Amino acid sequence: MKADKIIKYLLQITGLILINKAGFYIVELFELRIPGNVLGMILLFVLLWTRVVRLEWFEGAADFLVRHLSFFFVPISVGLMTLGGLIAENGIQLAVILVLSAIIGMVFAGGTSHMLVKRKEGKETGNSAHDL
Amino acid sequence: MLAYLFARRAAGKYPSPLTSPVFLSTVIVIAVLLFLNIPYKKYEPASEIMTYFLGPATVALAVPLYRQRKIISAYAVPALFGLIAGIVSTIISAVFIAYLLNLSDLILVSLTIKSITIPVASEVARIIGADSILVAAFVMITGMLGAMIGPFLMNTMKIDDPFSRGLAIGTIAHGIGTAEAAREGELQGAVSGAAMGMAAIITSLFLPIILPVFL
Repeated sequence: MKADKIIKYLLQITGLILINKAGFYIVELFELRIPGNVLGMILLFVLLWTRVVRLEWFEGAADFLVRHLSFFFVPISVGLMTLGGLIAENGIQLAVILVLSAIIGMVFAGGTSHMLVKRKEGKETGNSAHDL
Repeated sequence: MLAYLFARRAAGKYPSPLTSPVFLSTVIVIAVLLFLNIPYKKYEPASEIMTYFLGPATVALAVPLYRQRKIISAYAVPALFGLIAGIVSTIISAVFIAYLLNLSDLILVSLTIKSITIPVASEVARIIGADSILVAAFVMITGMLGAMIGPFLMNTMKIDDPFSRGLAIGTIAHGIGTAEAAREGELQGAVSGAAMGMAAIITSLFLPIILPVFL
């Protein structure tokens, strides 16, 4: 039972690795200036959409990786220790930039979407078909 | 070296509800490395093993995106314009303030990808010539900020539909924000996760083309 699950996960991860490799291969082949892994993501999405592959083939491992996505920050952010000088020099300025731009981005994204959602729902009053 | 890797992994997973586990485990590793006087260079091989999984992890993002395809297509217009408004405004405001403050070009470039999920950000960083460590720091801080300020900000702005709330937080605060949005509600979490994937796609498709025009 347990071994089954592990093998399934390993196969799923292998599948994801292969699609990732395919993405990088295509990028290299056509000399595109986009990340291979993003192309891999689009590739998997298209394959799912067109039902060439089924969701169950990837589900378990994919959910695991997505849930622990932030885990991948760790090795890179440990590199922060090499940035001590920069933080001492520009730390406050950088903090201001990051806070302000995050607020601005969320206000614009949320505001725009909210406006359009309300307009859409205004138009569709009486049509309860799209209740989520 | 590998022993630290696992010790930290365990440490990172258990106290998750308290603070961001990423932040905590980063602090732990840095502390251990400093305490034992291990230079960063020696830690690098271990980090390369984990970096290897960045690719498959990105590909995996297609799964939540696919699951939410119905909501996304039902709300395609608000989603698309919301995403673009968020991405463009956050990049422009960050770069503009940095420019006014006379920060270096390397910082400016690295700021452009602070709102996309780390596996994609580190790939785009390579393409546009940003500093990968700087980018990781910006991405992590932005994610934590978004997760902390996001829900409060949405309340003050009276944005009450779960779709827009999830979209705003996912667009700016990627994975860390998505974890927070999911705590608010299932729909918010789902939309946030999808928005994170879409923001990564949109940014990585257009930024490498647009950026050279300005530099």
